[in-house]
Amino acid sequence: MNQAEISKLVSQLRVRVNPRLRKLKSAGGPEARLDKLRKTVTALIKHERIELNYPRADESRMYAERLISDAIRYGDCHRETMEMADFWLIEKQLVHKLFKVLAPRFVNYSTAYTRMYTAPSVYPEVVKRAVLELRGNPYPSLVPDMHNNRNLIHNVLLDEAKKAYRTQKYEEIAAKIDAAEKSVSEEARK
Amino acid sequence: MAGSLLIRINVAIQRLELAIASVFTRRFPPDGFCLAGVDVQERLHQKPAFSLKDIVGDGFVWAVPTARRTIERRMKRRFGHPDYIWKMLKPKTNLRTCNVCGDDHLPGVLCPTCYKKVIEETKVMQDAIQQELQLSPVEKEVVVLYEGEKDGKPEEFFEGKRIVEIPKPRPAWFSKNLLQQTTQQPATTSDVKPSDLG
Repeated sequence: MNQAEISKLVSQLRVRVNPRLRKLKSAGGPEARLDKLRKTVTALIKHERIELNYPRADESRMYAERLISDAIRYGDCHRETMEMADFWLIEKQLVHKLFKVLAPRFVNYSTAYTRMYTAPSVYPEVVKRAVLELRGNPYPSLVPDMHNNRNLIHNVLLDEAKKAYRTQKYEEIAAKIDAAEKSVSEEARK
Repeated sequence: MAGSLLIRINVAIQRLELAIASVFTRRFPPDGFCLAGVDVQERLHQKPAFSLKDIVGDGFVWAVPTARRTIERRMKRRFGHPDYIWKMLKPKTNLRTCNVCGDDHLPGVLCPTCYKKVIEETKVMQDAIQQELQLSPVEKEVVVLYEGEKDGKPEEFFEGKRIVEIPKPRPAWFSKNLLQQTTQQPATTSDVKPSDLG
């Protein structure tokens, strides 16, 4: 039958989508829950790094990823996508940012567009906190940069390869110098 | 007169025999011979008929508490006692050490000292960005420059990017190179001098 491929109707999200909705303790029902999530998604797009409670971060991450993936897939001339952006982004300068800055930034990404870490909660705070950020933000990294750690295997292998190449090259140069000296001394003898 | 006396004696003996016989057949003696204060009717119905209600009752449940735990037992379980096992101060044995600063933190969670340092700097940058952009439409990527970083570069360097300047020196731990995609030009030859390696 001419049945549409259902899995292709929406771009595959690269974060774990929780099948059960979190109510988020919103007094006012599902509408209040969506208001809360809307504020969070707006703040994420505006500041590109926010700290909040873990459940809300996890929930709004899904919506942010879906919004960005739709903006990349359809662009700003698509009416439904523009209406979606108008709904989710309370501050309207961010609608410009979504289509003109974030869509080009993330268009070639094969990973998720957001990153979420578990933030430390200092006693007496016991509630689980999270940091939610967009990739490609201009802020310093939250995790230490391990690219230049000499003890990691990729750097160990690269260092050894460089060493081997260097010794080989030095031998060649030494051989060339010896050959040159020999020819010079032979000429001098003649 | 003698006849009635004999009859009376006979009846008495018969009655005595009956009483003794009743003792041996485990039947209670007649009311007259029973002790006062003992209710005979109750004793007679001592063994009621067997019924399924004894087992089922109002519905049976297995492995379920039948009595409330007292507050003493609850507190003893939770907090222990100083003379035995005291549970007030339980040390955490699953801490990890941060490779950058050396402080301890729980697994799966960012190091608190490193996080505090980074988030303070992030807030400064975010404030500067919002002050610069305000509510105007955001159409370009934002680049944050610290003291003295804008002067050395030509104008084309930040083409297509919105510059936000912060009037303080760059922190030592925040590397500048991460801002650029790559600093290296594509190679022209595959032959590399040993001095150019590493």
